Amino acid sequence: MFTGFLQHLWQRLFKPKEELVSFTEVFEHFQELLQDQQKVMEIIADLGEKSGGDYIFDRKYLTDTVNELHARMLHLVKDLNLISFNRYPDLYSALDRIFLPLEGEMRGRLSLSEEMPLVVSLEKTPRDHPELVGGKAAALGEIIQRLHLPVPPGFVITTRAHRRFLEHNHLEERIHALLSAWLSGQADRAQTSRQIQYSILAGVIPQEVAREIRREAQARPFWAVRSSAFGEDGELSFAGLHESILQVPAAGVLEAVKRVWASLYSPEALTYRRQVGLLGEEAAMAVLCQEVIASRASGVVHSLNLEAPESDALVVYAYPGLGRMVMEGRASLDRFVVERRQPFHLKVKDIALKESYRRVAPGGGEEEVLVSPEERERPALADEDIQTLAGWSRILERYFKRPQETEWALDEKGRIWILQSRRLTSPQSLEAPDICDSCSTYPVLIKDQGAVAHAGVGAGPVFVVSSDQDLERFPEGAVLVTRYTAPWLAPVVPKAVAIVAERGSPAGHLATISREFRVPTLVGVENAVALLPAGEDITVDTHNRLIYQGRVAELLRYELIQSTAFEDALEFRLLRRLLKRIAPLNLTEPQDQNFTPEGCRSVHDVIRFVHEKAVQELMDLPRFLKRFKEARVCTLVSEVPIGLKIWDLGGGVDPEARGTQITVAQIRSLPLQALWEGVTLPGVWSTEPVAVDFKGMMSSLTRTLGNGFGAPDYRGINLAVVTETYLNLHLKLGYHYNLIDVRMEADPNRNHIYFRFVGGVTDLTRRSRRARLLADILSKYHFKVDIKGDLVLARILHLPQEEMRRRLIALGQLVGFTRQLDMQLKSDEDVGHFLEAFVQRLEPAGDSPSPQGGKDGTEQVKNSHPGR
Amino acid sequence: MAQSKLKILILDDEPIVCKRLKPSLEKQGFEVDTFTRSFEALQAVQNTKYDIIITDLKMEGMDGMRFLQEAKKIHPDSEVIVITGFATMETAKESFKKGVFDFIAKPFNLSEIQRVVMRVEAKIRGTQG
Repeated sequence: MFTGFLQHLWQRLFKPKEELVSFTEVFEHFQELLQDQQKVMEIIADLGEKSGGDYIFDRKYLTDTVNELHARMLHLVKDLNLISFNRYPDLYSALDRIFLPLEGEMRGRLSLSEEMPLVVSLEKTPRDHPELVGGKAAALGEIIQRLHLPVPPGFVITTRAHRRFLEHNHLEERIHALLSAWLSGQADRAQTSRQIQYSILAGVIPQEVAREIRREAQARPFWAVRSSAFGEDGELSFAGLHESILQVPAAGVLEAVKRVWASLYSPEALTYRRQVGLLGEEAAMAVLCQEVIASRASGVVHSLNLEAPESDALVVYAYPGLGRMVMEGRASLDRFVVERRQPFHLKVKDIALKESYRRVAPGGGEEEVLVSPEERERPALADEDIQTLAGWSRILERYFKRPQETEWALDEKGRIWILQSRRLTSPQSLEAPDICDSCSTYPVLIKDQGAVAHAGVGAGPVFVVSSDQDLERFPEGAVLVTRYTAPWLAPVVPKAVAIVAERGSPAGHLATISREFRVPTLVGVENAVALLPAGEDITVDTHNRLIYQGRVAELLRYELIQSTAFEDALEFRLLRRLLKRIAPLNLTEPQDQNFTPEGCRSVHDVIRFVHEKAVQELMDLPRFLKRFKEARVCTLVSEVPIGLKIWDLGGGVDPEARGTQITVAQIRSLPLQALWEGVTLPGVWSTEPVAVDFKGMMSSLTRTLGNGFGAPDYRGINLAVVTETYLNLHLKLGYHYNLIDVRMEADPNRNHIYFRFVGGVTDLTRRSRRARLLADILSKYHFKVDIKGDLVLARILHLPQEEMRRRLIALGQLVGFTRQLDMQLKSDEDVGHFLEAFVQRLEPAGDSPSPQGGKDGTEQVKNSHPGR
Repeated sequence: MAQSKLKILILDDEPIVCKRLKPSLEKQGFEVDTFTRSFEALQAVQNTKYDIIITDLKMEGMDGMRFLQEAKKIHPDSEVIVITGFATMETAKESFKKGVFDFIAKPFNLSEIQRVVMRVEAKIRGTQG
């Protein structure tokens, strides 16, 4: 109580003097703020686009971009505080919280930071941090989190934990000294290895690490404890060099972890690391603990038949019992050669003669058992399991972009598990075909069309998706061809080998999702649905923006056997890690508890917060009016009765106009003229009451009640701040809240339309449906659209005046059209119908809403500003 | 394609640039060597005639502008494409004065550089044949 009173007193005494800042000044800051915000959104979109692999960028680009973002964000926060009389000083610490780790990422020191876990479960391994969890665990993490294939549960003791262990026991100096002695010839290899390994085994695992390991380990009785080393670019193979300990009881995990760490210094490992020049490097190893599968059969799949790489076949190897026999190469295995394409036709079936196999012994541990004579020639794997493995092998190869060697196990209940998957290395280097000539023999269906959202090559049958029902029938391994780029396509993206969309931009939603799942994607390919034959094979090559008829086998093979996939390059991983702290939007509802500076977790969140608050400041009209008494505010007299207040900052209204009311004809502001033209087109503004069904009505009631307190009340205030070439419009129609900010000058480079739409009666599902519809319509007009829940953010930049005008008329129509639309969107299919209705009703016949790419300037303008 | 492959040298101190450009240009049918240090690239130029040189400007040691001057001295008809993150009008002007074929600002996308390289190729083949 008392502190509350003091605080109150303090605030009263030191309340900033609002009168000191004139409105014109406030408005200038607001405009600057909008510009910075737009620029930041462009940078974010740009970074996203760069992560798709079509661009060549370097580290310097990343450093420059992060620096620019930081500068812009500081400016933005400063402007908000100027507008709001310093109400949000906490935003500066929010920026620190976001940018310090970003800069840490740039310096490459983040894996050591407190933020990173010591021990983490496989389902939660952070993406793009192989240096933290090692290559093996990183791949398994992606298989679980992205591909949703079955992997036995497990956890990782990270490299950070390893470093902590070395520090705790002062081992780094000791190991360094022992290694130096070996290198200078003062000690032999065996002796060096023994001494280092002994020191490690005698070390004590620090409490905080041990505690976390024990907590995870008690979940199951036995564990397989393996190394998960990380070689830069995944190009170094430590396969078999480090220890793997199977059947470790939960209580023995700590000791086993030390043994795996010690195996970094086995005599063989020492020689190998010396040969590849890694001895001087800091050796940090993650350790993976996984549940042991008591397998009925086990084996590996090679996604490419190394004996005949051009044969378009994969090979499944299998043997009964535990995997040790397979891994150690002690037995000859069943070998199934399968076609790489669905339905994975079995081409060769070599069944090995089995004499004995290993299984889990009744009391723990393993035992070797003889195979009964009648079982000797029985295949270790049923045909349907071979099919399953073949399918998975292709999914893994498609995601990791390189041929895969995948270890699997079949448990007693008949379930198959993936134990690990790594790049398949060929004993002899595979010959890259000369593809210039061979590709030219395939007919080209589409050439030089669209933009690259994610780079790569993919081939499969064309499947056109135009409705929700199509989504359910979408087959694994098809090429997704679609008119739309709407987020509802997301569920099929992971199944697609490639995507071709008629609309959209590399900064849009579909593009973001396709990058997440690494699916080669072209967007903005005109007439793709008509040009690509449904059901027939095509090959999509984004590198040359070519779509071939048929499967270009040479090209597919060429892609597979190249060195590193760009997705795995250091710079791309770094970019994705940066994006994770920049792009996600977590704050949506201003009413939410966490809609605070403390709640901001990304750059995008700060943008959202600043924008909301800036608009709020500006929308507080009573305070506004008090501040700026000489403001010329008048009311628009129009057939559309919303009582729009117009605030002219100069040149926006006919100077002859007198009194407090003006007519439409007296508007001089170009953007307001255009917008109003759309609003007042015949049939746009329905004056009839809109039918509301019961569910919608109830929901509207609760929302109204819930909104009664706390939320600022804008009801009835519709305000346009204008100049001749500028419009900032706030419309509160029913429960929808529109913000439209436009600059429309002779120089296209200065122009923008920014549109924001949120709120509305009825439940969230319907509001989201409406958001989707809006997004679809806006995309047709080449807006860049972001939707999150029921919030729609759209923007378009750098268009010439006439193009701006066209879009503003459309926006005016849209504002009228969607006034109470959410009431009518009862099912997801309605979205499609309304989209058609909008386009048909509001577009004069023959005038396509999206003229050929580039004609209206959008793509061209973008291209003329490479990067920034 | 009976013509012999054209040879391209790429010099950029950031390995990622070489790593990404090389396969893309090889796929287009060129023979590509990459370097991250200018003095090594210069040695290569002394031993081999490259038809096309793609170089960054700002690098440790000898910068790109000097490298391309030296390279031009040895093989005046090598065509040079400059790629740089420091894209200003000044540097662009200066590099054109040094006889550079074209100038591309980083980051650029693959089709941009492919187009430029194709134009260079047309020029080279045109003058030869």
